[in-house]
Amino acid sequence: MRNRLFVLVLLAGASSARAQSPPKAPPAVNGCIECHTVLDDPRITPPARLFADDVHAKAGFTCVFCHGGDARQEYQEDAHDPKKGFIGKPRPEQIPQICGKCHSDPALMKQYDPSQRVDQLSEYRTSGHGKALARGDIAVAQCASCHGAHGIQPVKDSRSPVSPTRVAQTCNHCHGDAALMAAHKLPSDPYEKWSRSVHYRARVEKADLSAPTCNSCHGNHGAAPPQVGSVTNVCGTCHVTFADQFKLSPHWEPFKDMGLPGCVTCHENHEIVKPSEAFLAEGAQSRCSSCHEAGSAGARAAAVMRADLVGLDGEIQRASRLVDRAAEAGMEVSKVRFDLVSASNALTKARSEVHLFRPSAVHVAVAEGLAVARKAAAGGEDRLKERDYRRRGLFVSLGLILLTITALVVKIREGVPGSRENGE
Amino acid sequence: MRAWARDRIGWDDLVHIAAKKRVPVHRYTLFYYLGGMALFLFLVQVATGILLLLYYRPSSSEAFESVQYVMADVPFGWLIRSIHSWGANLFVGVVIAHLISVLFLKAYRAPREMTWVTGAVLLFLALGFGFSGYLLPWNTLAFFATKVGTDVPAQIPVIGHLLSRILRGGSDVSGATLSRFYGIHVAILPAITTLILGAHLLLVQRHGMSIPRSVEGKSRRSISFVPEFLMRDMVGWLAAVGLLAALAAFFPWELGVKADPFASAPAGIRPEWYFLWMFQGLKYLPSKIAGIPGEMLGVFFFGALAAAVVAVPWLDRRGKQGVAVAAVLILIAAAVLTVLALLPVPTSARP
Amino acid sequence: MEATAKASGPDAVTRRSWVSWFLGTSLGATLVTFFYPVLNYLVPPESSEPSLSEFELDLKASDVAPASGRIVPIGGKPVLLLKNAAGELSALTATCTHLDCTVQYRAERSDVWCACHNGTYDVKGRNLSGPPPRPLTPLEVYVRGEKIVIKRA
Repeated sequence: MRNRLFVLVLLAGASSARAQSPPKAPPAVNGCIECHTVLDDPRITPPARLFADDVHAKAGFTCVFCHGGDARQEYQEDAHDPKKGFIGKPRPEQIPQICGKCHSDPALMKQYDPSQRVDQLSEYRTSGHGKALARGDIAVAQCASCHGAHGIQPVKDSRSPVSPTRVAQTCNHCHGDAALMAAHKLPSDPYEKWSRSVHYRARVEKADLSAPTCNSCHGNHGAAPPQVGSVTNVCGTCHVTFADQFKLSPHWEPFKDMGLPGCVTCHENHEIVKPSEAFLAEGAQSRCSSCHEAGSAGARAAAVMRADLVGLDGEIQRASRLVDRAAEAGMEVSKVRFDLVSASNALTKARSEVHLFRPSAVHVAVAEGLAVARKAAAGGEDRLKERDYRRRGLFVSLGLILLTITALVVKIREGVPGSRENGE
Repeated sequence: MRAWARDRIGWDDLVHIAAKKRVPVHRYTLFYYLGGMALFLFLVQVATGILLLLYYRPSSSEAFESVQYVMADVPFGWLIRSIHSWGANLFVGVVIAHLISVLFLKAYRAPREMTWVTGAVLLFLALGFGFSGYLLPWNTLAFFATKVGTDVPAQIPVIGHLLSRILRGGSDVSGATLSRFYGIHVAILPAITTLILGAHLLLVQRHGMSIPRSVEGKSRRSISFVPEFLMRDMVGWLAAVGLLAALAAFFPWELGVKADPFASAPAGIRPEWYFLWMFQGLKYLPSKIAGIPGEMLGVFFFGALAAAVVAVPWLDRRGKQGVAVAAVLILIAAAVLTVLALLPVPTSARP
Repeated sequence: MEATAKASGPDAVTRRSWVSWFLGTSLGATLVTFFYPVLNYLVPPESSEPSLSEFELDLKASDVAPASGRIVPIGGKPVLLLKNAAGELSALTATCTHLDCTVQYRAERSDVWCACHNGTYDVKGRNLSGPPPRPLTPLEVYVRGEKIVIKRA
């Protein structure tokens, strides 16, 4: 039986084509693949087949770099020799070290991809996953859980489970599993909540990859939720203005003292929806009333800010309707639309001023916006007046035309003196 | 004054000719007004066109902006431009109506065959005006409609591509096309039209108004051309001006969006209504009929149709209604195609 | 026909001349309403060149401080007018390519910044960091006499 195997292996070895010679040190022969693919066993063949497409294979690395053993041997006991480092299928807790053997070695990584980081393993050890694994909990993510084991692609490749378009679903694989999450005392709905957020809409519907996904806020290898005190910093990497304002606001110190999670207190962590003035109101969507009782100074401040913003929004809507009416009547409105855009910009700015939590700041921004909105409304009304002027002018001309036609008809019916009309 | 005119331009002779001209009165007299209406609308186009010339800039970087300028900033620019755009459509409509009435009243019979031929040529010139003028505002709709429209002549075998190139001023629709269409619209076509129109009017003068066979021989009431017919004409002309002014005030012609040659064609581009029957008809042709590209056959068909229109006086058989019946069928087909072209297309059925 | 009977006699003459007068006057008035717009049309508006290929600002070159920037409306869209320390003028479209907020000039960093999501561009409109996927479009600026003129893209 072994002899037949030997002949098969030899033949397979002779016929297998080496598509590209590995550029660096590793040996050219990868006997592991030949044997494992020929044997056609559901346990050991798929990895061998997948590996052909792996980024490590293309760089010239073979199975032995992770699994140990000797790739040049023909016989199983020689190839799988533990004295040659063979470990078979690695246990989950072994995997980070196996990958880290190369990926934490700056000198080695520089030979293949100088700009790639080499601190993934040390980051991993600080992460929720890494700490659990160190405690002996193997039902957590390690390198292979997210990157795959045998058909590993670079992160930029869309086939990689951690490419920007797929990473959230990869996280959700475990973090959406209710039973698994319950065992770790974690919620299992982050992905579901995130899929209702504005960030999800931006990423998926508008293909805007600058919007955050799981790893944007939680980190890649050092994955852990931002600490309560650092939430504002994390959100502030993109939302700079709001973070700066919040830090200057009267909420900053009290939130820290109370251990409240900064931005997330009002805006949630995963289900971040489009904010509205309803946040400042006293209804189901109120964010203020959870701390500020009705009638308190804080509640009153919220009401004032809300009233200001709603007022400006209303003015802009009114101006917009006027301009639309004028545009529908065929009037040229491009100049007025600029004022509308400016007014909308002012509203956006006023809304961001809310994060200073000082009604006077909002009031100033709203006042600026109102001035522009009123200018836009005046422009719209002016266009409508022009439309009316045209119609009035039209009616005057039509009236005169009608008059002239009447005169003509009268003249025609009068006949021409001495006209010849046969048959009379 | 009259003596001065008489001695120099023969004023009295002209007045004499005009005074003598009479127009027969019968139940089809109403159709006599269509020719004059077409002429009046043409003159409206010339007048508004000349006014637009004062502000329009025929370059791809300025055309759209200049039209926007006329619509927004020039006093009554909106009025002049909208009258020109609406007027173009009204003009083509009236020319077609004039053709139809002359056809069914068989006014093309001897000795008026050449009047008909010059009239048919005038129709084609009117369509040429419409097609060339449509591009001039350089908006997305016009740009892509012209792209589609100049693809059609390319179907003609042997000379098709050359013809398309000559029309476009290049291999694609571009600023060169705009320059060319501008020259065609404001110089070439007006020059040719002046000659043909002059011939047409002279022939009408020469032969007088045609009287349909069915009312021939019956009592021949007539009215003077000047002033009686002209006054009635004027009622129509004033009504037309009123209509154009109302359209301009209530439905100013839209500007659209400036053409971007690199953007993809928006959904729903189509030419003006008088070309829709061709546009829709070409869509229904299968890609090959007996090995010949369907579109080429379509173009041949249009060419044959145009030739048939010109040749009507000779195709007609005295006493037979062949031409009239064929005309009715063609008109119904064209109307149906036009309606089909205007229907919103469900996404799945889009050809 | 009645008309022929009525068409003679002194009454008829008065009525005929009245009708002619009526016709003449109403036709004249109608023609006035035609010529009034046409004659007005012939008079070019105040700003004859702008909104075609170039736009003349209501701003003198000396009004703009060096190392500063401001937003001006051009054809209904915001444009960022910049002047560098050496006094040279330049202009960029000011609509951020990310989500259409209006950008601003940051003098302390000599860059162009979008407050909405912290996108940055350099003074030539090229992307530096942040979400914006495309650069801003530079526009040609020059000075005619004292006025600033910006050419449309």
